[in-house]
Amino acid sequence: MKSLPVKNLIRKPGRTAALMLLTAFLALAVFGGSLVVLSLRQGLNSLEARLGADIIVVPSEAQSKVSFQNMFLQGTTGAFYMDAENLKRVREIEGVEKAAPQIFLASLKADCCSVKIQVIGFDPQADFTVQPWIAQSYARELGEMDVVVGCKVEAGVGEILRIYDQRCKVVGRLAATGTGLDTAVYCNLDTIRLLLQAAEEKGVSHKVTSDSAADQVSAIYVKVKVGYDVGRVNTAIQGHTRKASAVRTRSMITDVSDSLAGISRTVTGLIGAVWVLAFLILLIAFAMIIRERRREFAVLRLAGMSRRMLSGLILRETALCSLLGGVLGVCAAALLAFPFATLIETALGLPYLTPDLRTVALLAAAAVAAAGIVGSLASAGAAWRLSRVDPGTILREGA
Amino acid sequence: MKKRVFAWLTLALALVMAVGSVTFLGACVHEDGSFGTCHWASRALLGIGILLAAQSGIALATGHAGAYLCMAFTAALGLLLPGTLIRLCGMATMHCRAVMQPAMTLLNAGILILALAGFLLETRRAKRGTP
Amino acid sequence: MLKAENVGKMYFRKSGQANYFYPVRDVSLTLTPGAVTVLTGRSGSGKTTLLHLLAGLLTPSEGKVYWDGTDLYSLPDAALSRLRNEKIGVIPQGRSAVDTLTVLENVQLPAALYRRRMPDAAPWLASLGIGHLAQARPAELSGGELRRVAIARALASEPEVILADEPTGDLDDENTERVLRIFRQAAQAGKAVFLVTHELDALRYADFAYRMENGCMTPCETQMK
Repeated sequence: MKSLPVKNLIRKPGRTAALMLLTAFLALAVFGGSLVVLSLRQGLNSLEARLGADIIVVPSEAQSKVSFQNMFLQGTTGAFYMDAENLKRVREIEGVEKAAPQIFLASLKADCCSVKIQVIGFDPQADFTVQPWIAQSYARELGEMDVVVGCKVEAGVGEILRIYDQRCKVVGRLAATGTGLDTAVYCNLDTIRLLLQAAEEKGVSHKVTSDSAADQVSAIYVKVKVGYDVGRVNTAIQGHTRKASAVRTRSMITDVSDSLAGISRTVTGLIGAVWVLAFLILLIAFAMIIRERRREFAVLRLAGMSRRMLSGLILRETALCSLLGGVLGVCAAALLAFPFATLIETALGLPYLTPDLRTVALLAAAAVAAAGIVGSLASAGAAWRLSRVDPGTILREGA
Repeated sequence: MKKRVFAWLTLALALVMAVGSVTFLGACVHEDGSFGTCHWASRALLGIGILLAAQSGIALATGHAGAYLCMAFTAALGLLLPGTLIRLCGMATMHCRAVMQPAMTLLNAGILILALAGFLLETRRAKRGTP
Repeated sequence: MLKAENVGKMYFRKSGQANYFYPVRDVSLTLTPGAVTVLTGRSGSGKTTLLHLLAGLLTPSEGKVYWDGTDLYSLPDAALSRLRNEKIGVIPQGRSAVDTLTVLENVQLPAALYRRRMPDAAPWLASLGIGHLAQARPAELSGGELRRVAIARALASEPEVILADEPTGDLDDENTERVLRIFRQAAQAGKAVFLVTHELDALRYADFAYRMENGCMTPCETQMK
């Protein structure tokens, strides 16, 4: 009698809904929680990939690490400058394979919105960090006043972005990284110098260490030759540069992964707590429901159902109900996690990149399956106890 | 109460939409005190929210299938408004893009589905002749 | 053919080992095909326990129950359940309908469990006066109507033995007559019918009659017309 469990579920909608809600919470917790943890991990990987350098040299007055890290992690704008002389000095240090300068500029509000945009100028000849990434969406070289925008900047290819009243043409959009870089705009050094000049004319003073805009850089990305110790090179750079500090990217990534580990632990703890609690509630709920339905089950035994068939019926019914609840929970979690991904990212202040569809689908399937298994497990004990009792004993109880 | 459950639900969602659009779900004011398009989008959503609440009220009072249908169309408009009909901020991390748009999309989608469900239920009731 | 040999059932009371009682003690009984056997007695005399023992629903503490020479309780659960499903129709006391099934589905339940051909339930429902309730759900039915649903379920699957526990308990006089007549007809069709009741009316339809007192069974007079 295949349809009996289905009929039992449909024709007792209140009971079914209550049980489904419980398992929905389970699935919501496991799917939503794991999704956040996975997204953070993905964000960390992407940050690692995007940093691409071993050492980053920034002006020491820029409170080096903090503001620089915030730029990467939270997309706050940063504008700090040092003498371009430092670039030459870094290149002379033994063990430095490549050194690429970048110049930062914080726009006033762009015409789109009230937020400042971080403009990052890089040197196409020397760069080894930004270009491989840009190449994924724009294969040609950036011309004057050409910009490539991060995925969170709403500007289509071909559109004009006004920065300090200069018309910049959007030639490409970058893939999401989940980091602060998603809110930035990229251009070459010539363009950013023009923009700096325009800013100066508008009366926005950027701290310039020398007279000419051509003689300043904001950051130097350094790649260390194979076989050289990054720590040593770092110390050497520290000693040879003026008013600058060298930051090992590894330490930045370690900082991020530390806070990620903290969040992971908290989320895992929460998931665990929800599971233990929900499992206990389910255990009690099934024990009560099966107790209440003892007579119904005794009647089925009397009509010729064997113990096995009866246990099967109960298990099928609870599994079906739990699976449906699991689907419901996953849907609810998806409805919260995906539309509000940006909000979660901003709130956590860490790189956050939603995994690809396949991973998400697998995670959803696992969450639904887990809900189904837990629901069935919670009812298994009560079903087994019930099947051990002679139906005659049950019928005597409440005739 | 039970018979018009869909209208009660849409009423609740519409009120969240109307109140939210001027409070926690609204767009932020620019630093210099000026208003962007997102601000006007949130004002338009306030109007849509009030309209939806009124339509839910009519559906509650009369149980007309047509009231539900009107609500569905209004919700569809509300769905298109932020982002499609009115362009929002250019930065996805802004409040209007990170909170207002997804929340309003969910609210309007919810109202749309509930309104269609209510419409189907009421037309079936009308066919069967039960009040 | 269903036969009980010196069966007894002992229960421990909750308070402890020393405190036990025998609802049924040393009963031997053979249910003959084609005959109505009626068991009467006061409530608490052990009638229902005996019926459950016969139906394979309650393991006896002593003695044996045989079906065609096979010890019922030596069978594995699956075989015993199947045998009960096919050969024994049980009408228990009290409510015995599955709430989530309609009246018709309840009556066809035994056949549906083993995917047999569905019996035609309509004539049974009609003869019991509940033909119009086929699509109703048990929650909408009165006690007497539910009783008749249970009777229809036991009869519709054409078992060889019918075990009925107070089948006329909730019924008015007219329906009591109707039900007893149906049992009589079933016996005439070759089935063994076993009625447990405290109503002496049933004795008028009995081929054999017994009386139960303190777990012991003794023969008594029938009042066959």
